[in-house]
Amino acid sequence: MRSARYLLALIATLAVVLGACAGGQPSGGGPSASPVGAKPVYGGTLTFALENDVIDFDPLRSRAFVDRNLHYQIYDSLVRIDPTGKIIPWLAESWETSADGKQVTFKLRKDVKYHDGTVFDAASVKWNIDRYRTTQNSQRASDLAPVASVDVVDQYTARFNLKAPFAPLLATLVDRAGMMLSQKAIEAGGADFTRKPVGAGSGPFKFVEAVKDDHITIEKNPDWWGKDKDGNKLPYLDKIIVKPIVEGTVRTTNLRTGDAQVANNIVGKDVESIKSDPNLLYQQGPNYGFDSIFTNRKKGAAFEDGRYARAVSMAIDRKQITDQVFYGTRFPGYGTIAPSHFAADPSFKPFEKADPAGAKALIQQIGKPLQFEMLVTAGTALDLQIAQLIQAQLAKADIKMDIKTLEFAQILTLQDTCSYQGATLIGWSGRVDPDGNTYSHIYTGAPNNNSCYSNAQVDKLLDESRTTTDEAKRKAAFRAAEQIYVVDDPARVWYDFRSTQLATAKKVQGLVPYPDGLIRFDVGWLQK
Amino acid sequence: MTQYILRRLLLMIPVAFLVSVIVFTLLRITPGDPVLVFAGEERDPAALEAMRHEYGLDQPLPVQYVVWMEHALRGDLGRSLRTRQPVTQAILERLPKTLEFGGAALLISISVALVVGTLAALRRNSPLDLIATGFTIAGVSLPNFYLGIILILVFALALRVFPPGGYADFATEPMDNLKRLVLPAITLATASLAINLRQVRSSLLDVLSHEYLRTARAKGLGERAVVLRHALKNGLIPVVTIFGLQIGALLDGAIITETIFFWPGVGRLAVDSIGGRDYPVVQAIVLMSALAFMVSTLAVDVLYAWLDPRISYRRQAG
Repeated sequence: MRSARYLLALIATLAVVLGACAGGQPSGGGPSASPVGAKPVYGGTLTFALENDVIDFDPLRSRAFVDRNLHYQIYDSLVRIDPTGKIIPWLAESWETSADGKQVTFKLRKDVKYHDGTVFDAASVKWNIDRYRTTQNSQRASDLAPVASVDVVDQYTARFNLKAPFAPLLATLVDRAGMMLSQKAIEAGGADFTRKPVGAGSGPFKFVEAVKDDHITIEKNPDWWGKDKDGNKLPYLDKIIVKPIVEGTVRTTNLRTGDAQVANNIVGKDVESIKSDPNLLYQQGPNYGFDSIFTNRKKGAAFEDGRYARAVSMAIDRKQITDQVFYGTRFPGYGTIAPSHFAADPSFKPFEKADPAGAKALIQQIGKPLQFEMLVTAGTALDLQIAQLIQAQLAKADIKMDIKTLEFAQILTLQDTCSYQGATLIGWSGRVDPDGNTYSHIYTGAPNNNSCYSNAQVDKLLDESRTTTDEAKRKAAFRAAEQIYVVDDPARVWYDFRSTQLATAKKVQGLVPYPDGLIRFDVGWLQK
Repeated sequence: MTQYILRRLLLMIPVAFLVSVIVFTLLRITPGDPVLVFAGEERDPAALEAMRHEYGLDQPLPVQYVVWMEHALRGDLGRSLRTRQPVTQAILERLPKTLEFGGAALLISISVALVVGTLAALRRNSPLDLIATGFTIAGVSLPNFYLGIILILVFALALRVFPPGGYADFATEPMDNLKRLVLPAITLATASLAINLRQVRSSLLDVLSHEYLRTARAKGLGERAVVLRHALKNGLIPVVTIFGLQIGALLDGAIITETIFFWPGVGRLAVDSIGGRDYPVVQAIVLMSALAFMVSTLAVDVLYAWLDPRISYRRQAG
């Protein structure tokens, strides 16, 4: 009987909390992680609740975003970003681009060893890049397509020879295409290497074991080269246990019960409960990711005439979506270039206020009313909620949107061939350079251009943004292109930018949100 | 009897073969390209083509089946398309966890159903009977995922008596293992418990009205002996059928429950593999659960003969 009363009280509390959240208060960044002057201490084990299990530990084969949460702890890449997204030296201490932009020469650190004891040097860089470029099923081959060859200049100098100048090269080397692994460890790992990368990295943590869907253990690399700003050796933590927990609410519960101390993907409705928990800390920062609606621009599809896509863009109320579905953990967005990209223009807000009347007028001008089908992945409550909200918003502009749920794998096939009739929802986890967020989504025939969009002027501008290394010129090209593919001749409808979330137990110190959404545990420590 | 069991075991071979053909075909004609699912955000067409070739997905269907069958007969069920882990290893690594979890749920379901169901039948329309009936309706109606999350919120978050899911190895941390078992096992047990309870109660009620029980009482047997030795044994025959079928059906429930409680068992593997079109893994899991169904049905039939002497599996003359 007592438990029944408890349950009622719990449900009542939940209802109140939900009601309060529906009011919609966008949350800003959390308080700073570390009290000023707190001195880091060594030791301790941390449990990290991850949104899913890691599929592939080999950066060469890795496809899923979730994999990178582990890659970044085990492997070092040639360059890295700081919390603002600026590219900083990492395994490469410095680099120089030739005048014609076709050669980039990296000076490497001399104090780096892989976990299996082999030495990291220019020959290792060449071997890794060649492996990524030339292995048959390499997922990195397209990232490194502009690279013609790598030369070993001396033991600690490596030169990349490019087919043509390629401005996003450094940003590409921040991620998996720039991660350096031990040849010996890969060869010893054989077919099992993708699940057991023993000894392969040079990063702050070493791989210990991975039990599928249960846990992954990594432990401190005592010989890591990294130091904190006072010259103390990093990392501080002894061990990290990663637990894959798919259900978002259960991840939050694990944080609140103390079974996990870190999580980086929090369901919008759970954020309030974390903020109000005296033992937890919630931080939120900018992120490169976006969410959008593919409007099929192929001949014969509902959005062949781009003005229909613009009408949808005008009619939807982005703020309502980010407030009601994401509780302020995402922000109204209008394109591929996120606020923290160098090419962003903060004043670019083409559809800031929903304008159903304008959309209606535009459709009248076209002459034929708009009716289309929106495909939503079955079993994803959040996507369905978004679709229903959009459906109601479009109805105000007399646009009729039918919702159809299908299995994820089926939607993917329809997207890949542009053979869906109307629209589907699509998110993107974001890349360091705006090129990574744009080119493959917009350029004619590019792999993620699943609205089959094609605009010669946009293609020309995007090519330009790749071949010039001058940041101001690149920005100008991106700005001109975005105006076209978002407003004048829309490729699709963008509705939000994501944020990087980081929820930790208060005793976890030193961790900060990075715009790529990945945690760097090398500077994290546990208060005693 | 031995002959009967042998014959039934032999019959399983063609059934398993048929199941393998059906699963193979159904999986391949279900729309959705595994390579696209694995590709995630990385859609380089050349890499996708290389993956298709590596997995043999560019071969005609009959060829793919023959290749798979050849390997399967030699005990090699292939590697997961998604993770490259050998399928046999992936399943064997998880099977004990699912068996522990399913076994615990079955134990809860059967023991509670037997005790409460019997009491409810004996005290028909008593408050206990009413509560049991109410529970039955609630148990059948409450979806697994909902009950699981409510249990986590109440017992893990609010009362903090059990951890909110996860798995601990029994060999190294037995207490932790059992603690983590409680909530998922209750969640999984609830739906089948409701059905079992109902079944025990109604078939016992049916038996209790039979005349041979009056005879048993008339010859001076105590009520306890009447119920336990005479009523229950006969009343259980239909119940055993239901129990038997549930062993196979537990895997269905495990699929959802394991995901909520992140219990690293076969059910969770099945969800990921079906959604991801991981053909070799799904084929192996379906084949395995088909075998589990066949074996449990056989066990039920054998139990029948033991419970009811009128049933005999000896070949009839003529």
